[in-house]
Amino acid sequence: MTEKLNLVARELAKLGLTAVYPREWRRSVVLEGEVDTWQQYIAAGYAAAGKGYKGVVNAIKVRGLEQSREYLPPAQGGALEGKDYDVVIIGGGVIGCAVARDLTRWDLRVALLEKEDDVAKQTSSRNNGMIHPGIAASSGSKKLAYNIRGNRMYTQAAEELGFELVRCGSVVMLGKSMYQLALPYVRYKALQKGVDGLIPLSRRQVARREPNATSLQRGGIFLPSTGVVAPYKVTVAYAENAVENGAAVHLNTAALGFAMEQGRIIGVRTNQGLIRAGAVVNAAGVWADKIAAYADDHFFTIHGRKGTIAIIDKALGATQKSVLALPRLGVKSYTKGGGLNPTVEGNLLMGPTAIEVSQREDWSTTPEEMEFLFSRHLSLNRQLRPRDTITYFAGVRACTFEEDFIIEPSEHVPNLIHAVGIQSPGLASAPAIAQDVAAMAVEILKTTREVKPNPTFNPERRLTPQLAKLSLEERGEAIKKNPAYGQIVCRCEAISAGEIIDAIHSPVPATSLDAVKRRARAGMGRCQGGFCTPAILEILARETGKAASEINKGRPGSQLLAGETKTGGGTRT
Amino acid sequence: MSGAKWDVAVIGAGPAGLAAAIAANKAGARVCLVERESRPGGILKQCIHDGFGLVRFGQKLSGPEYAWRDIQLAKERGIKLFTDTFLLELEAREEGFVLTLQNSEQAVFQIVTRALVAATGCRERSARQVFIHGQRPAGVYTAGTVQRLINIGGHLPGKNCVILGSGDIGLIMARRLTLEGAKVQGVYEIKAEPSGLTRNIVQCLEDYNIPLHLGATVTKVHGSERVEAVTISQVDENLRALPGTEEYVPCDTLVLSVGLIPENDMLLPLGVQIDPRTGGPAVDQLMATGQAGLYSCGNALHVNDLVDYVSESGEIAGSSAARFSLGKPDRPCHLPVIPQGDIQYVVPQKLDIAAGGQAVLYFRSARTIANASLEISAGGQVLLQKKYKAVRPPEMERIVLDLALLPPGTEELSLNLRG
Repeated sequence: MTEKLNLVARELAKLGLTAVYPREWRRSVVLEGEVDTWQQYIAAGYAAAGKGYKGVVNAIKVRGLEQSREYLPPAQGGALEGKDYDVVIIGGGVIGCAVARDLTRWDLRVALLEKEDDVAKQTSSRNNGMIHPGIAASSGSKKLAYNIRGNRMYTQAAEELGFELVRCGSVVMLGKSMYQLALPYVRYKALQKGVDGLIPLSRRQVARREPNATSLQRGGIFLPSTGVVAPYKVTVAYAENAVENGAAVHLNTAALGFAMEQGRIIGVRTNQGLIRAGAVVNAAGVWADKIAAYADDHFFTIHGRKGTIAIIDKALGATQKSVLALPRLGVKSYTKGGGLNPTVEGNLLMGPTAIEVSQREDWSTTPEEMEFLFSRHLSLNRQLRPRDTITYFAGVRACTFEEDFIIEPSEHVPNLIHAVGIQSPGLASAPAIAQDVAAMAVEILKTTREVKPNPTFNPERRLTPQLAKLSLEERGEAIKKNPAYGQIVCRCEAISAGEIIDAIHSPVPATSLDAVKRRARAGMGRCQGGFCTPAILEILARETGKAASEINKGRPGSQLLAGETKTGGGTRT
Repeated sequence: MSGAKWDVAVIGAGPAGLAAAIAANKAGARVCLVERESRPGGILKQCIHDGFGLVRFGQKLSGPEYAWRDIQLAKERGIKLFTDTFLLELEAREEGFVLTLQNSEQAVFQIVTRALVAATGCRERSARQVFIHGQRPAGVYTAGTVQRLINIGGHLPGKNCVILGSGDIGLIMARRLTLEGAKVQGVYEIKAEPSGLTRNIVQCLEDYNIPLHLGATVTKVHGSERVEAVTISQVDENLRALPGTEEYVPCDTLVLSVGLIPENDMLLPLGVQIDPRTGGPAVDQLMATGQAGLYSCGNALHVNDLVDYVSESGEIAGSSAARFSLGKPDRPCHLPVIPQGDIQYVVPQKLDIAAGGQAVLYFRSARTIANASLEISAGGQVLLQKKYKAVRPPEMERIVLDLALLPPGTEELSLNLRG
């Protein structure tokens, strides 16, 4: 037994996990055996982390626990059989979409596969939209390097792709017991990490900047580089620009295995047939370990950490300018409960919480999580009450036990690249990760062929009007050109029929109620779709040529209607 | 963009707005009505059941029939109606209110009005606002959305339904869904008493053998794509779910009828004072808010249970707005109306004694009381007493007070309801 393995074994013994057996595999450690609870499974994984291995593969069985269910789109025959791409990206989250877009800078045939009916369906639409300043990432980690770089790249990305980025800054407040101790340390750390533009604030300065901030604060720091975005809009923007520049986005397409030849991937087996690939990017989020295993390169295990987020009514949006947080002593960064942010749409957002979950696609919320959010964050802003919540949701982070990103070419498969273990600050890091991953893919392709720049690449996404962002004059002009912009469908957010129609016919078409929501925001206001759902349903049916009863929230089986009434059918508005 | 000038503009062409516009027109004002939907009538358009108009017309009408009478009247009187027109901005200036509007034909345009009537109705409390947990499957709807889907769209939202909350629209949709062949498993109400009108409990549930479960609520929604079931729990006296009482009820649809919220968001930038008891602006008996020239009525003012009273408040607001606009009002002299005892709320919240005449007072009790007595007093003097066989929170009470009864020098008026 090597010394490293001994260390792991000792840690496991300390936890009393006597039926867990570690072994070495390539440069990683594999845990096998059986435990009684998911908590033990997680504890065992962490016990093996940080011991000098490349990764922790946690293959421990938990007695009586159902394996994580995974949604797979229904088999649809061979529509994509025989398609041939230079690069195939697996996963339409923010990383996959940003990689696709960066690859279209080159004269390459690029395809992105997404098993859901839309991009940004999982973690990329279920996070707090923070562009972190980088202060929370550990020194020397990939998270830190990509966060700092990614944060700086966001300004240009937002300009080119036309998504909203608000550099609202964050006020990290320090409580009574923390202030004297922590401030010099925090300043030193920020400097060392390369965090841009830290400003120390006295208690009075915090109060002046954020008059509604908790009275528990004794001062803090201001980090001006912190920003917020709508994460699903960023993802959609990358995907759309990728498509505009020639990439293919194949929705409802799940990677089910690889066709390998002499250790190289030659194709991706999907529910729509075998797709040939020169290189493959694994950006499969919570399922990235499964994709790696298809290539016998399973050197890490992903475990899901669920975060619940609550959205506060716009009426209170003006009570706070920056992200507010009040760190507590002895709370590890990955068990924290997020903060209280502004959003680009003018709401406030609380969370996310952090709970280890065995089900990677379980986005359910619970009263306990909401209570936790309220107890932790509501008091950060003295104007907020629980009843100001308009909605809440949960997402699942794709964590490795090493708690760092893995962004590298596979050590064993020459044409596979991993962009995995992406959790906070993954969104903030996305532009930088995409830049590196695209470069890695180009390097791989260059070993067999010449790779030239794409002469027609246009970094600027074509934009359709977002009425809420226009001046009255511009709005008037837009309506004169297209009267559908004159007709408001979502009254809470003032979204027009024209904007919904644009979303349905966009480069990555929105064909479900939730996809329309992610693009046009219709239904995201305080009535939560009470008034506009029937109207959006009817527009979707009309524009896609489907029956209203076929329209769903995304996945099969999520149809909104059971059928027509006895006299039924048709719309008589 | 300085636009057309009006004496009175009314926002919302539901029953309150229609009544207000007609009343203002009758009082000689030049009136326009602004409606964001494509047809006037408001929520009545989808209320195809009957029972509307008993107070106002002495007849049982359906919602569309009730609305039709006012729509016809408004047409005959030549009242300008902007449909499919959305209010973008509202600003109070010296010359009056400036409304920035948009529609497909005129794009963005403005109108200026001396007086404004806000008849913007109410919205439904959503599933998230009553903290329902689980995944977010399709099949969770508010009762009004179900009503719109069935009665206007011709769509059937589900075949096996559970209804949470015993508000009137929920009760009516229990019956409507049943008539469309859907199974309604039951209506669950967290409180110990139903929150809808007694006549709806009888006509919509009892007549169709739909069970009503009191003191029970939905604590979880099951299903990730479409609703598969709900967990029902009994609650304690503080309305907290009792562990161990969970019942798993399979269904494909959860319909919510858990309360209505007056919509006054457009008034907030004007700094209008909102009464936390009603959710609507604080007004006097002329429906005047604290902002000169701004009037409120209907369900935006407080949630009514009968449309007849919605229309009544609209008429008052419309004629008051016309009087203001045509420059005839005296300076208001306000005294507060104080709810006491078991009064949940009272509208108006203040009286303009300079206006004289009679004031209509609407109030709700905070709890069900048999043999209740109401006492209206001012300056230590009892002005009016009334006995009620029973008062219930879902059933609004209306009482008319002659302001001539007020003793001189009165500083406040109190309404006291006791068991």
